[in-house]
Formats: sequence, structure tokens, C-alpha cells
Amino acid sequence: MTPQYTREDTRQLFQELRRTEDPQYREALARLHLPLVEYLAKRFKDRGEPLDDLIQVGSVGLLKAIDRFDLERGVEFSTYATPTIVGELKRYFRDKGWAVRVPRRLQELSLRLNKVVAQLTQDLGRSPTVPEIAKYAQISEDEVLEALESGQAYSTTSLDAPSGEDDDAPMRLDRLGEDDLRIDNLEYFASLAPLIEKLPERERTILYLRFFKGMTQSTIAERVGISQMHVSRLLTRILEFLREGMEGDVEY
Amino acid sequence: MNRETVMVRIPPNPEHLALLRTAVAGFAARDHFTLDQVDDLRLAVEEGAVQLLKHVAGEGLTLTVTRTDPGIEVRLSADVDSDQPVIDEESFSWVILRALADDVSIEMQQGHAAIVLAKHRLASAPAFDEDDQDEA
Repeated sequence: MTPQYTREDTRQLFQELRRTEDPQYREALARLHLPLVEYLAKRFKDRGEPLDDLIQVGSVGLLKAIDRFDLERGVEFSTYATPTIVGELKRYFRDKGWAVRVPRRLQELSLRLNKVVAQLTQDLGRSPTVPEIAKYAQISEDEVLEALESGQAYSTTSLDAPSGEDDDAPMRLDRLGEDDLRIDNLEYFASLAPLIEKLPERERTILYLRFFKGMTQSTIAERVGISQMHVSRLLTRILEFLREGMEGDVEY
Repeated sequence: MNRETVMVRIPPNPEHLALLRTAVAGFAARDHFTLDQVDDLRLAVEEGAVQLLKHVAGEGLTLTVTRTDPGIEVRLSADVDSDQPVIDEESFSWVILRALADDVSIEMQQGHAAIVLAKHRLASAPAFDEDDQDEA
């Protein structure tokens, strides 16, 4: 993403910035990495927000990354800045709530079904089926499907998941590989580990329980103390984040 | 048992992945899969399709959902640019698919690739036949 020649420029600019604290170096760094912001902002462009606004928002993330970057860390600045910029963009959408225009009727139905699902899960001792939900809520299966679909729309636009800044407790990576799968032997592990570390603790737990422990979403929901639909949304986002990270990172 | 099949074909472009997710979720939800399972299928189709898209050489990617005896079979298929399996069994994608589906296999045949996922209906969820016949 970042052309080869800017790496050395970047390093020099950071050295000058840290030495002199002169804002002109900060601006130069921001200008140099604007293409990165534009590239990342474009990924969010089909969510109904003007691209210019998104670039603006992403630039805030870039400036944060510039202020926090530590040259000694030995990673490329673009690698470091990407999750911060993406995090800023996601926060922007999250703060807007239902960014995709979901009719009020569906929003309410979706929230109501959340309760129905929780109740049925408890009664049945397993996740309910759509016909069961429809019967219990006295609505048609089509309406249930529509509401669930809109719940997913909500998820893809309001991303409260990985901001890249909540990594208070770094994941015990050895914990991931303890039983059924020998993760440490797998080739993907090296590129995945840094991304997993960027996930907030709760998301890391959900990832681990679903994919490495084989728990169902309902079981995880109960364990983590959130609704099944929320687990579903978080899993969607986590996988999206990991995919983007593995593609977008310059590391491999 | 009738083996009803639904097919959706999209251009090889991530913009259209939502159609595949919606199709598989709609099929499974009406077929008495639990919400957990419906979501598993949605995620599995997304993951499989994203991986397949990286190798697509033809003009489309096809999702085929078939009702089977224990549940449903989901096939994602496309013409691809190589004969190497589209998903490496040592990749994270494989781990994800294995966790989401009851059975996963990759079929590679002369420039054509298919990711085949099977998901079984829960024994404790009511059989679909009763309702369907009542309504008919």
C-alpha cells in the first residue's frame, strides 16, 4: 500500500518530529500517509456516508497514530496506523447507530425478537428455529426473517468491535492452542496472532469459544452475558476484521 | 425425501456476497434450522465465498443449497485459476469452516473448484415435514 520509498521518508520524518516537536513534520507525515486513509475510507463508502467525510474521520485516526507511534517498536508505520484509522472509522459508524436506514417498525421488531429468542432459548434449552419464533411472537416467518436481516444490517454499520486500542490484557496466545487443534504449527498463526491481540478481551473470548472450543452462539451468549444476536453480530465483525487485517497488512 | 435445490449465481465481486448470505440464511431458517445454525451457515458461506473469490477465473460464483436427509448441503463453486485446493487445510479459513459446518470438503477438478459444506438439522428441533404437510 505504502510505496517503498516512503518508508525511509517516514522514518526520517518521525525522527525529526520526535527531536524537534515541530508540527511541520507532523503535517508532512499526515500528507505522506493520506493515500492510506483514502484507501481505508473507500472500504466504508457503500454505507451511505460521503467519502470526503470518511477521509476526514480517517485522518483523525491517522493523526492519533502519528502521535502514538514508537519508532523503537520495529513495525512499519502503515501497519501500526491501519487499525487505528479503521477503528476511528468504525467508531464513527457505531456512534451513528442504525446507519443504514432501517424502518422504525423493523428496529422495534428486531429488539422485540431479541427478547423472544432469549426466552425461547431458555425454555427449549437450545437456540430456537424461525418457525418457533414466529409462532411464539405471533408473526409470520417472513417477518421474523426480515427482522433478523435488518439486525444484521445494523451490525455491519455500527461496529463497536475492534478499535485496536482496547488491548489492555494481551491474549495468552498459548491458551489458543491448548487442545483439539495444534494451532502453533499452522502457517496462518504468525500473521493472525498480532490481529487477535488487537481484539478487545470479550471479542477474543468469543472467537476462542466459537472456533477453537466449538461452543454454540447461544452457549457463548449465556456465558458472556449478551444476547445471541449480539454474539452473531460480533462474530461477523471479528471475522471481517481478521480477513481485512490479513489482506491489508504489509507484513505478508 | 425431496432434494429441493436453490441456486444463486453472482458475478465474482465481493459486493454481491450479501445475496449469498441472505439466500442460505433464508433457506435454512425456513427449513427448521436453529438460529445458531442459520448464523453458522451465514458465516460459513461468507468465509468460503471470500476465499473462493480470490481464485475465481470465470464469470461467476455459484451457491447451491440442497435439502438432504440429515440437513442441507451448501456448495460454493466457480471456475478457478489453478488446481491447488482453494482452501489450505492448514489455514485459519479451514478452522473456521470446520467449526461452522458439520462437514467440509474441497473438490478440485480441471479448473473448477467447489467448497462443500454440510449442516445437519438438530434432532431436537421439530421435523419440517409435519408443518409443511399441514399447510399443504
